[in-house]
Formats: sequence, structure tokens, C-alpha cells
Amino acid sequence: MWERMTQDVNVDDDTARRFLEEMLRIDIFEEETKERFGDGEIPGFVHLSGGHEGSHVGMGAAMRDEDWLAVGGARLIGQYIAKGVPLPEIMAELYGRVDGSNRGHGGQMHVADVDRKLYGHAATIGSGQNPAVGLALAEKVKGTDNVAVTTIGDGGTSRGSFHTALVFAAYWDLPVVFVIENNQWAISTPAESLSPDSLSDYGDPHNMATESVDGSDVEEVYRAVSDAIERARNGEGPSVIESRVVRLVPHFEGDKETYRDEAEYERLKEEKDPIENYRERLLENDVLTEGEIEDMVANIQDEVSEAVEFARESPEPEPEAAYEHVYRTPLYGQGE
Amino acid sequence: MTREITYVEAIAEALDEELSRDDDVILFGEDVEEFGGNFGETEGLYEKHGRDRVRNTPLSEIGIAGMALGAAVGGIRPVAELQFADFAATAGDEVFNQIPKQPYVSGGRLEAPLTIFAPSGAGIGAGAQHSQSVHSWLGNVPGWVVVTATTPYDAKGLFKSAIRDDNPVFFLPHKMLSETKGEVPDEEYTLPLGEAVVEEDGEDVTVVATQLMFHRAKEAAAEVDADVEIVNPRTFAPLDTETIAESVRKTGRLVVVDETVERYGTQGYIANEIVENEFFSFDAPPKTIGVKDVPIPLSPPLEQEVLPSADRIAAGIESLF
Repeated sequence: MWERMTQDVNVDDDTARRFLEEMLRIDIFEEETKERFGDGEIPGFVHLSGGHEGSHVGMGAAMRDEDWLAVGGARLIGQYIAKGVPLPEIMAELYGRVDGSNRGHGGQMHVADVDRKLYGHAATIGSGQNPAVGLALAEKVKGTDNVAVTTIGDGGTSRGSFHTALVFAAYWDLPVVFVIENNQWAISTPAESLSPDSLSDYGDPHNMATESVDGSDVEEVYRAVSDAIERARNGEGPSVIESRVVRLVPHFEGDKETYRDEAEYERLKEEKDPIENYRERLLENDVLTEGEIEDMVANIQDEVSEAVEFARESPEPEPEAAYEHVYRTPLYGQGE
Repeated sequence: MTREITYVEAIAEALDEELSRDDDVILFGEDVEEFGGNFGETEGLYEKHGRDRVRNTPLSEIGIAGMALGAAVGGIRPVAELQFADFAATAGDEVFNQIPKQPYVSGGRLEAPLTIFAPSGAGIGAGAQHSQSVHSWLGNVPGWVVVTATTPYDAKGLFKSAIRDDNPVFFLPHKMLSETKGEVPDEEYTLPLGEAVVEEDGEDVTVVATQLMFHRAKEAAAEVDADVEIVNPRTFAPLDTETIAESVRKTGRLVVVDETVERYGTQGYIANEIVENEFFSFDAPPKTIGVKDVPIPLSPPLEQEVLPSADRIAAGIESLF
């Protein structure tokens, strides 16, 4: 049996409570998503974020509302929540309904909310990083100090497009923070077969600041991403952060995970669950009581139930809506 | 009043005027600064507008196209050059999956007002990977506005509109036309996107043609014993089928000639659109003419063999009578 050492809480109590609450919000929302998907209410397929909640919440908390997030990898819903997209809009989008964030045109892999500076997702893994460089360029041209944060999984770092984005960001020292969520598995291909010791080493040839952190520790991710954002805002250019997380869920719902070692999987669940660990830590440091956490959970369950109700009651799109949003019309000068 | 300029000068003027008009417009691509572009299309722009507005990029179309998408979503109006239209394929995911689809999958909440421009077409002995006409590839992906240029007048007026349009626009000049000359108005002007234009009036047969093929169709029209109407689609996607249909209702005959490959090409699509909707206007079957189903070869006799010639177009027209 692995013994947890008591760890300090290095953020103020309000922030610590917010971290736990936000991680629980992701977890409870996703558990409900899994149920609704299992019951056939959600079309398509869903990838859940179990084990990545600390990374998502730490990153989200490090950003200002005005900073862009271009999400990547396959653990998406937690990132949408961490960027502040309301739960009902996310759930309705998973359901493919008109009140979804994307009016049902996108679904789980494409939640976009440009008003909240959520760019969305390049569902072809590894194609979101060059757009993130473009978002940073736009902010620079407009003279703001806003930055672009972009995530990718360990698998996506094998795409040439990821490395091109590093070249372009470094070329103009653009304010981009590349966060690699290394959960050890590109579906069934282990990251340990990749050659770098740390995937953040991919920033080294570009002379970027790099750091590899325990991504199951929300505070570590918060600190590392905050530092990288600070550098980017101060004109010190892009950074690459490896957030080492553990995938505590299948790649997608339905993946039988025949490729995983069961004993190792159980050990990781015991040791690396970001929510359970942080919960213990806040209790041990007297930041929260069991009762307060129970209230927090109950409140979130209510929020999630409301999101499901909202999604269920939202109408299905009219079939003709499939033809909307292909072009903004009239085209320039057309019909004048 | 008008004045005569070359096709490449028209492109450079469009860029210069839009950079001057709108601070949100920025231009980037490979060798667009001092070098001035492969055909001189960006000459003088970097000196006039500065390095913040006119930027050389590292050699990667993935980076150029991907950055253009993000910059457009981020609220500026990027104009990005690919050195050859064939290189749309080297940024395949950005060009086919990302740029045209992101506004749609966002449910219209995200806007991508970007322009990518790239010289297309064969005829300069550039070989199989620097000579293709790619508007059939792009036209097959809903979301792109696909625009071609046939004359200096078109090149300037359509390019300016492409830059101002709020959709992703792929603008395709033809490299063989670079040094051709034509009249443009002295005063500022733009030309509408999404509208075809009847360039030559005629009564007997409609020929649809753009870019270099337009000029060859004009030669062919002079050779044949028929009164030829030539329609220039200008925008290939979305296509203005009504202007072409109206012409066919008058002439009863249709030849579509285009420099894309015939197999699954633009010619068949355009002919089909008109046949399906105007079948009873036809006095003869439609005729489609394009690049033969081979890659573009290098040696001039081979290259000219596979491209539609004025003679081949003339023979196509005559086959309908």
C-alpha cells in the first residue's frame, strides 16, 4: 500500500478550494456524460479526461480570460470546462442540440467559444498548434499582451505540424505556451518508446524555456503554466511544458484497454488520481472539511443535472440547418 | 480613365492598396520581403509597409496556412502566399480539414477572414509538382471560396475582394499570365465574388473558360465557324451556375474547358449542373475538355500535349455542330 506524504498547500485557501471544485466539476460532468452516452442519448463517441483534471484546471487557472486556448490531444471536455464554457452549452453540444455551444455542428471534439477565447480543437490530432501561433500573432499585431496556450498529447508530438509550430513561434518569439499532456499512451502506443527523456525537450533546439512537471498535481501545473505565461507576456517568447499525467480512463468509451498492465493500472489509480490526492491534501491541511466537500459535490451534481435537463429540452436542429454556416453570404460584392 | 499594367503588377497593386487601406491586413509567405515573390508579386511591399505587416516565413506551408487560420480567428486579416498552388497539398490538413471546416463546425461563431494565394497552372516547364491547377481539389471542400484570375483587371479587382471577404478565400492567379498586359481603371475598384461574367457575346455556343484557357478559348473562337459566347466563372466555389445556364438557354450548346485534370474535374461538375437543370435547352451534348489524366510532364512537347490547346478547344466546339 502506497503511503501519501502530507504535502503543503502552496496557494491561498480560496484558490485551493476553487481548484478542487473545478476538478470535481469536470469529474462529475464526465461521469454523467459517460452514463448518458451509455444510454444512447449522446451521439458519436466520447473521450473522457480521468486523470487529466489537475492538468486542465491548473492550466485554466493560470490563464486570463483574454488569453486564447487552442485545445489538443483527446482529453477535451475538461479543458472546455477549465476555460469557462458553461456546462449546459457543453452538454447540449454533446447531445447535438441547437442550444449547444456550436449549435450541434461540432460535437464533443469541436466545442468552440471565441467570445471566451476558446479557439476549439483540431480533431486531426496535432493540427491545432499552428493556429495557436496565428492567434498569438494576431494578439501581437493588435498590441495586446494576451497569450495563446495550446495543448497536445504525447501522440500528437509525432506530427510534423507540431514541430513546425515550434519553428514558427520561435521565429518571431511569439507569446505561445505549448502544453504537452503526456499521459503515456497514444491510444495503445506507449510514449516511452519515443526518444526524448522528456517531451518538453522538443523545445530545446529552438532555445525555448522548457519544463516537465507532475501533471497530476494541480498546483504544479498552475505554477509552471503561470511562469510560462508570464514569460510570454513579458516578450520572452514561447515555452514548452510537459505535464506528466496518467490516463485513468479508456482512450474512448468502448476501448477495452487490452494493452494495459492491470496491476500497474491499479497502482496508478491509487497513486496518481489528481482529485483524490488533492482532496486528501486539503483535508490534511485543514483547508476544507469532509462536510464542506460533500456540499461542494452536491452542488456540482445539481449543476450537472441542470445541464443534462437543458440539453434534453433543447430542440434537435432542423435538418435544413445542415446548410447553414458553410459560407458567410453574400460574398464580397455579390449581388450589388 | 484606364491604364495598362501587367497581371503581376495588378496583384502587387491589390496587395499594396489593401495593406494601405486596412491595418488589420498583414501579408506573409516565403520570400515576400526583399526577394519580392517568385514572380515579383510582392515587390516593394515590405519596403513600404514594414516588417510587421509583410513577413517572410520559414519554409513550411503547414506553418503558413495554420498560422493564417489562427490569425484570422484572432481578429486580423491575413493574406498568405504559397509559392506554388501545388503546395496546397503540403499543407493538406490545414487546407482541406482545418481552414474550410472550422467556421462550420463552430456553428458559425468563429470567423476566418483569410486569403491564401498561390500561382497555379502549367506551361513554363515546371514539372509535375509545380504546374497543377488545383481549383478542383479546393472546390471539392465546402467552406473555401475559390477564385481564379484571367486578366489584370480580374486579378486586381478579385484579389481585393478576396482580401475583404469574411470567408476563407483561395485566390489562384495563373503563372503563364504573369507578364500579360491589360487595362485597369485609374480609380479604385473591386469585382464581385461568386459571380461569373460573360466576356464575349455570341449566339451559337457557350464556352466556359478561365485563366489561360480563357485566352486559348478566344483563339479557338476566332478559328471556328460559329458565334461563340465565352463565360468566365471567376469564382469556382461557390459557382454562379445561373450566368452559365442563362447563356446556354440562349446558345443551346456548351463547352467547358478548364486546366484541371478531366477525371472527377471541374468540367464535369459544371456541365452536370447545367445539364441537370437545363436539359431541354440543349441542341447537342455538352463537351468537356481538360488536362489529360496524367501528371504534368516537363518536356515542352509533352507538356503541351496534355494541356488543352486552342486547336483542341476549336475541335471541341466544332464537334457540337
